[in-house]
Amino acid sequence: MSGTEDDEFVAFVAARGTSLLRVAYLACGDEGEAEDLLQTALERTYRNWDRVRRDNPEPYVRRVIVNTAISRARRRAILRIIPTHTPPESSARQADVDLRHVLMDTLRALPPRQRAVVVLRYWEDLSETQTAEILGCSAGTVKSQASKAIAKLRLVIGEESVKGVISNVHA
Amino acid sequence: MSTLEDGLRQIMADETERLHAAPDLADRVLRSSRRKTKRVRLTALAAAATVAAAVVPAYLVLGQDSTAVRGGETGGMVATSVTSQPDAASAAPEPPAIDDTPEPDPTATPDLGDLGDGRAFGHVRVGYLPEGLQWSHWSLDFGDRYTTSWNYDGDKNGFYCVQIYVYEGQAVQEVEERLRMHREVREGEEVTLGGRAGYLIRQGVGEDGGDGTPTVFVDMGGQRWAEVMFSPVYAKEFDDADAIARELRKVAEGLTAAA
Repeated sequence: MSGTEDDEFVAFVAARGTSLLRVAYLACGDEGEAEDLLQTALERTYRNWDRVRRDNPEPYVRRVIVNTAISRARRRAILRIIPTHTPPESSARQADVDLRHVLMDTLRALPPRQRAVVVLRYWEDLSETQTAEILGCSAGTVKSQASKAIAKLRLVIGEESVKGVISNVHA
Repeated sequence: MSTLEDGLRQIMADETERLHAAPDLADRVLRSSRRKTKRVRLTALAAAATVAAAVVPAYLVLGQDSTAVRGGETGGMVATSVTSQPDAASAAPEPPAIDDTPEPDPTATPDLGDLGDGRAFGHVRVGYLPEGLQWSHWSLDFGDRYTTSWNYDGDKNGFYCVQIYVYEGQAVQEVEERLRMHREVREGEEVTLGGRAGYLIRQGVGEDGGDGTPTVFVDMGGQRWAEVMFSPVYAKEFDDADAIARELRKVAEGLTAAA
């Protein structure tokens, strides 16, 4: 790779690294893993930089991040059998634990594909079509996955808590 | 702001506000990429040199970033999953390393029970295995995906030589995603296995200085895929990449749906 291309790559990472790190964090739910996920995605991007650089490289990196996060989470879920549907213990709420944390924990516990849909739709503000392109599925699937994810979040934290979360956000 | 979606959006923004990419991130990526490229090239060079000399040394050490290559052992812990890597001997020293597989937790994971000789497990029958292998007494069963392996001594705590992972129903999506990513970066090759579609690839090249895991995926039809893997160390028992591919293909071709 030429020095110019390396410079372009470095400039891209400097400009978009933080934004991509945040996507990685939301996709995997762990700060340390997010850093590793981002580095892995950027290494893959760098190897294909001569092709990727011609268009906007960010969607490519984002796609690698999200798909890698899904792939890793699935393997881990397979091996650990994480109960993704278990609601937080009632004692936690009684202890007045911050509902925002409950919501983030619930987000982390979503099946990886649903979590990815939530991140891409509501954090990245991508359309259903754009999200579908990244995940390699139909827009209908994105719609149904988003709907299921939101319903699950709503169910787990409860209608009353939803109001609490929203008012916390306003506060 | 009045919906859960809006609240979620704000919470995600708050949650990530403190995160910032490390200032040396780009440098680390460049260094790591160059190191891995160099390592793959050295490995390919070593393989070529070995063939040319027609000698199999006990081991080769090729420098700081190279791989120690032992001959004549089987081994490598059972691969529970892997991702894309090219063949070390191919021209393009393609990508590394999305392999972060944790060790299986034996206390939490169901298995397939006593499989006897291991030739039939789940909904699959194994028609062909390389000579000298026996069922390892190890398996995992997750319902829509399950796996087992074979080695020389039948020790469930030992190393594997051949592992087969079967994906069914919804789990097939995972295989399709992985194959899509492999194809996207032009890793591996499309193959036909007894009239069935397949994909031949060496996964995990460069991981921990290794030569990767020779793998073939086969579409068994009826929403079922199988992933046949040779452990990196077992693969060294074969003369070359062609011999490995031939054996992998025979195993894949011999897979049939159990009655």
